[in-house]
Amino acid sequence: MKKRSISLTVNGTVHDLEVPVHRTLLQVLREDLDQVETKYGCGTGECGACTVLVDGEKAILGCLTLAASMDGKSITTVAGLEKDGQLHPVQEAFIEEHAIQCGYCTPGMVCKSVSILAKNPKPSEEEIRHNLEGNICRCTGYVKIVQAVQRASERI
Amino acid sequence: MSSRVLPVFDLLLPSNLEEAVGLLSQHGDQAAVMAGGTDLLVGMKVGMSPAFILSLADIQGLDYVAFDAKHGLRIGAMATLSQVVDSKVVNDKYHALWYSAFTNGTPQTRNAGTVVGNILRASPAGDCCCAALAHGGSVLLQGPAGKREVDLDEFWLDYRKTARKPDEVAVELKLKAPEHGYGSGFAALTRSYQDLAKINAAARVIMDGKVCRKVRLAMGAVAPITLRLKEAEKVLTGQEVTDQLLEQMAAAVRKEVKPIDDVRSTAEYRREVAGVLAKRVVQDAIKSVAGPCPYSCFMGA
Repeated sequence: MKKRSISLTVNGTVHDLEVPVHRTLLQVLREDLDQVETKYGCGTGECGACTVLVDGEKAILGCLTLAASMDGKSITTVAGLEKDGQLHPVQEAFIEEHAIQCGYCTPGMVCKSVSILAKNPKPSEEEIRHNLEGNICRCTGYVKIVQAVQRASERI
Repeated sequence: MSSRVLPVFDLLLPSNLEEAVGLLSQHGDQAAVMAGGTDLLVGMKVGMSPAFILSLADIQGLDYVAFDAKHGLRIGAMATLSQVVDSKVVNDKYHALWYSAFTNGTPQTRNAGTVVGNILRASPAGDCCCAALAHGGSVLLQGPAGKREVDLDEFWLDYRKTARKPDEVAVELKLKAPEHGYGSGFAALTRSYQDLAKINAAARVIMDGKVCRKVRLAMGAVAPITLRLKEAEKVLTGQEVTDQLLEQMAAAVRKEVKPIDDVRSTAEYRREVAGVLAKRVVQDAIKSVAGPCPYSCFMGA
């Protein structure tokens, strides 16, 4: 098949789409659904900028996922973490710790941090660093990002 | 968005293995089989262009990591690297494979990428290839004539070439059951954590006190395929393992490897460090016989 009809839930909204099978989840999010909060970095799975959460809290890469294989799945982007006007504790901690400079890596970094804390609410610094290996930040030097995850872990 | 987009292809999405084999019988020569896609899709963004992708994503029941003491470990074609990292039994009994999965790629690629995919990719630098070869085992293939098993020692034929025929699906990886005195270790050298290995090594030992009763030693990125180092194994087999013996083994390793210069390293460096890495993984394997996994400090990460 060259196209596939899929039902994709993004941040709680169900979309019925007919997607060409060679389009990635990231392309569908950004170009078809206009949800540009998830960023394109390297396109080859190395930088983590396109990290989103699938079916709850599993972090995957939008650039290496075929949209056609996402039928019936539920995706959460960084824009879907807020609940009732209240930022997610990880988002709040990133702001409070000034863990953002240019901000390009932040959507992926925040999504990955949420997945870390979902699996292990009290990670050590080493565990945080190991689990953020797939997210590259060229501004901060990571110290404030690690501190933000630690701060968030105190609130989850 | 970028020039790194996928070329047009036709997606085949079988819902069971029989259907998959049927589709591969028709299109096998032009089809790439995809499990997690973390390798294939990257390849397609930088030049590869198969006419068909056969995805295993809709075939239920291939994402298992199962162990029994008699038959050993079975890893299904869709079991991700993350599942292997989260498996207590793999961490307990197959330390080399566990560590090769733990250090493979990034958390996100481990959530999609599979162990069997790593074996089928047949890269000489494949971390799981190296660990699996040290453990010893086989790949279960299903084709039009039924199922067959190919020993890992005969599975990789050349650079990126395996014994899988175009109309076959790799269903699972089997690793042998641990015997008494069983231990294993894995190590890779990379420029950074998520990089491909410039060299990797894995050992599986069966110890009787200080005597090495049996050993399997595997090394990657030192030849077109992951190598068994049989001459080095002979040095250790049946001997009490001493520092002097490990030096002799390292010398045998350096003779046996056939490294090349490439973008990640030089042949000269690889040959030198091959001996060091071999000693390290044998020592790790011996340590793991007695007690907890030498890498257990990483658990919970």
